[in-house]
Amino acid sequence: MTATLIVNNLAGLLFVTSLLVMGVSRPTASAVFYSLQSLVLVLIFVTLAATLGAGELYLWAASAFVTKVVLVPVIMYRALGKLQDPAASRPLIGPTGLCLAAAVIAVLSYLAVSTVKLAVVAELKPALAVSLGHFFLGLLCIVSQRNILKQIFGYCLMENGAHLTLALMANRAPELVEIGIATDAIFAVVIMTLVARQIFRTLQTLDVKQLTALKG
Amino acid sequence: MSHMEWVYALLLTPFATALLAFFSRGLGAAARRAATLFHLLGITLMLVLSLGTAFAVLADGPISAAGGWFYIDGLAAIFLALIGVVGFLTGLYSIGYMRHEVDNGEISVPTLCTYYGFFNLFLCTMLLAVTANNIIMMWVAIEATTLGSTFLVGIYGQRSSLEAAWKYVIICTVGVAFGLFGTVLVYSNATSVLADPSGAVFWTVLLGHAGQLDPALMRIAFVFVLIGFGTKAGLFPMHAWLPDAHSEAPSPVSALLSAALLNCALLVIIRYYIIVSKTLGPAFPRMLLLAFGIMSIAVAALFIIVQRDMKRLLAYSSVENMGLIALSIGLGGPLGVLAALLHVINHSLAKALLFCGSGNILLKYGTRDMDAIKGVARVAPLTALLMGAGALALGGMPPFNIFISEFMVVTAGIHSGHPWLMLVTLLLLTLVLAGLVRMVARTLLGPSPDAVARGELGVLTLLPMVLLLAMMLTLGVSMPRPVAAALDSAARIVLDQGDAPLAAGAAAPWIKTTAKPVPTAAPAAGL
Repeated sequence: MTATLIVNNLAGLLFVTSLLVMGVSRPTASAVFYSLQSLVLVLIFVTLAATLGAGELYLWAASAFVTKVVLVPVIMYRALGKLQDPAASRPLIGPTGLCLAAAVIAVLSYLAVSTVKLAVVAELKPALAVSLGHFFLGLLCIVSQRNILKQIFGYCLMENGAHLTLALMANRAPELVEIGIATDAIFAVVIMTLVARQIFRTLQTLDVKQLTALKG
Repeated sequence: MSHMEWVYALLLTPFATALLAFFSRGLGAAARRAATLFHLLGITLMLVLSLGTAFAVLADGPISAAGGWFYIDGLAAIFLALIGVVGFLTGLYSIGYMRHEVDNGEISVPTLCTYYGFFNLFLCTMLLAVTANNIIMMWVAIEATTLGSTFLVGIYGQRSSLEAAWKYVIICTVGVAFGLFGTVLVYSNATSVLADPSGAVFWTVLLGHAGQLDPALMRIAFVFVLIGFGTKAGLFPMHAWLPDAHSEAPSPVSALLSAALLNCALLVIIRYYIIVSKTLGPAFPRMLLLAFGIMSIAVAALFIIVQRDMKRLLAYSSVENMGLIALSIGLGGPLGVLAALLHVINHSLAKALLFCGSGNILLKYGTRDMDAIKGVARVAPLTALLMGAGALALGGMPPFNIFISEFMVVTAGIHSGHPWLMLVTLLLLTLVLAGLVRMVARTLLGPSPDAVARGELGVLTLLPMVLLLAMMLTLGVSMPRPVAAALDSAARIVLDQGDAPLAAGAAAPWIKTTAKPVPTAAPAAGL
């Protein structure tokens, strides 16, 4: 009972860290907050592993620590530090709008999850709602930000949401499956970062509003 | 070699070729020749192995490998053979196309090695996607196709190509993330109902226990799957990446994206459609496919008719054809499914031909703007002939293959009680034909500009087109027996009919000629 309470509260903390990732203006600060969020995710995995007796989740926690708390944030921090475009830093939606949108997403996700009748997640519905909401929060980040680097973080948030769903509902999946998903996620971030750098070098902008050569 | 070893060899060949091509960068003066040679050997071997595997499935039934992680049935065999044929022909075309680009300083030799590396890696990820039986690996493979092809789309490094690459990677990774959600829902649903949860990750096991799955969850899962993989398949309104990526990529890559990649995502949707139809009954998934299908055709037709950019026109035609395939599956029944599967083959051949043709024109004229391209028939007559025939074929003119499958779609629609929908579809297809005829008339005919040198580019940029047109004509006038057998087997899998023959009267005219039914059940040793 206490363990599920911890998981549900930690999941709530994921939402807060997401808003921080989205809300700060410098991409490097987003990288730090993303690392913090991933640490929360690792803690959730560890707690779940102990609660559900799912040994695989310890492995997930370890691999998530290496990849998401250390590797991806370090890659992003180093790669993004050199890319500066103040014009792109102003988001399309301000902090108040962002918080309101996040609140709406949280309520809708909770309602959506309340209909699910799976025994595995009976006591972890708030966490499941967060995982679904987190996915859409990432989507919100992508559509609300002008800076393409922030869009990469949006993808990272979506991916953390999907990862939590996987841990809650499919934690007995073979380890190879989890490795496959994690590898894809890392490569996705690396490739997006490389393209973003090339865009900055060629176009001297990170503003998505400047990327409008292709239409119709 | 046993069938299983064929599958491993098939998957390893493009992967090894990719590594060799990447390593060729370090060979100095020999890099160009070495990378091209590795590429040629790799695609040839891949063609042999993919066709060999497909024929083995037709002869001996499904192949299951690596403890059930890979499963190739009659349905996968069609997609596998298509990747083999289209991958080989566009790979061959690449050699001629890229030779021109390197000679003209458009790309450097190290970039050429990277190109061949990613080209083969992309082939590898697509092969993985169509042979996967593990549904999470299916997702991983589809995601990997995006990652493998992003650099191919942005390889020219110009403003527009980088923009296209960015949109491609963002929209597709985000879209496919929806697919992951759908996948996880199905998987966790299955783990809670199966006696042995370890099988819940396999498509074959899910199919066997589809009746036990929770209908409410499967309904949500299918919506996620359709949005997720539909993004990758280019269905409206998730198609936004497609016209940009297809038009900005080098033409052989455009051909591969349109003729092979879209099919891979479509196959995943079909796989889920089969399971969901068994759990929920076919009404719900069919309704969704009909809706997405007709919307895709309608929007694409309107963009085709006003398009000035030749490759964007062809890209919208991909949206239209994917819509038509979705619509045809949505119509249901043996004829609808057969029409859809035949159209998958036909569209791939036609679109590979046309993107290669547009590549030849682009290299000659240096533009894709149809207002500037005039008189291709005088500049490069053979390209013009192949392009013209291909465009009319794509528009649905007999005696080519697309006429047959589009005719079957309409027949299936009338047969299943959707006359009005078919009327609308026919009107939209007429618009598409008008757009294609307009393209042919404006670009191929008329006086040629003096600045454009006359003459074809070379054998390697023409031979793949000749072969593609020959195949299209063959499929249009006489259905080869192995293709008919493969379609028959695949349709029975989609309809979940086992070894029972397709319903009489509703089947395609060539079904009678099928030599013997292909077994669809998994071999005893498999799953």
